[in-house]
Amino acid sequence: MFVITCPYCGARDQTEFAYAHEAHIARPTDPESMSDADWAEFVFMRKNTKGIYAERWMHAAGCRKFFNALRNTATDEFLAVYRIGEPMPEVSAEGPATPCGEQPGSGNDAVKIMADDSGGGGR
Amino acid sequence: MADPRRRSPLAHRAPLTAEGGTLTIAERPLLGRLVLRVDADKGDAAVATVIGAGLPKAVAETALSEAATIFWLSPDEWMIVTAAEAEERLAADLGAALAGIHHQIAVVSDYYTAIEIAGARARDLLSKLTTLDMHARAFKPGEARAGIFAKANGVLFQRVADDAGGGPAFDLAVRWSMADYLWCVVAEAGHEWGLPVEHPVAGEPLFH
Repeated sequence: MFVITCPYCGARDQTEFAYAHEAHIARPTDPESMSDADWAEFVFMRKNTKGIYAERWMHAAGCRKFFNALRNTATDEFLAVYRIGEPMPEVSAEGPATPCGEQPGSGNDAVKIMADDSGGGGR
Repeated sequence: MADPRRRSPLAHRAPLTAEGGTLTIAERPLLGRLVLRVDADKGDAAVATVIGAGLPKAVAETALSEAATIFWLSPDEWMIVTAAEAEERLAADLGAALAGIHHQIAVVSDYYTAIEIAGARARDLLSKLTTLDMHARAFKPGEARAGIFAKANGVLFQRVADDAGGGPAFDLAVRWSMADYLWCVVAEAGHEWGLPVEHPVAGEPLFH
């Protein structure tokens, strides 16, 4: 559970909010000439960044407005919230590459074991 | 003239009082309600001519006049609460005053009812149901906020101040279809202070 600051309503509980995926995805200006690959890029492809990620949230149980947020996806820390149409604020985040500070990499244990076998050490 | 067939969502529920009088819950049935959407700056003056109070501009703010109470719901959306049967006339007057300004007025009286939660333990009871900060410093008299109460969405308004005799009184506006559920959840939350247990008419479990 975490607290999200709605730019209109202030700090509220996470349960009041709905997630609305990556922000700043411009709609195509010339849809007639787009190929299927272009459409797939627009509709499906998302960055899925580890680190600072610009995403949309909606305050579903409050003002029901969409807004943008910058979140550190490794730590779930909200670095900034800003209204739709406002420029993205400059933020910086330094944190562990992963929430628990373990080595970054696959969460698949089999892969980790293989890494250990090859002299990776650690766990 | 009210239609005699009109029946409030909680007409089958009698008001409840806890022993000692630290809590009472009751329905405030059939209040007139409108939802107004308009650009705040453009519509403010026109609304003030009809209602006698301008549009509140920030979260939790309300505007009170003799004609109505206005709750802030979002930067361009307000709920206007007025006396029973007065909402159609108010909607018409607002529509006339806002003519030429892009706006929308919806009469939602039959969509909502309000549960009044009053008494010295009212804040404690609400704290059990919502993630809103119910401390007296955070939720002040005359404020209204939308939020989640148990599993229902509602708009909570503090109508009576804490230092009034008998403690604070809150009006919790909730949708018709959720009213019976929320009534029973409120009674359950107040059970530790002496409210009786109420069972939903549809028989659904209150908690999972």
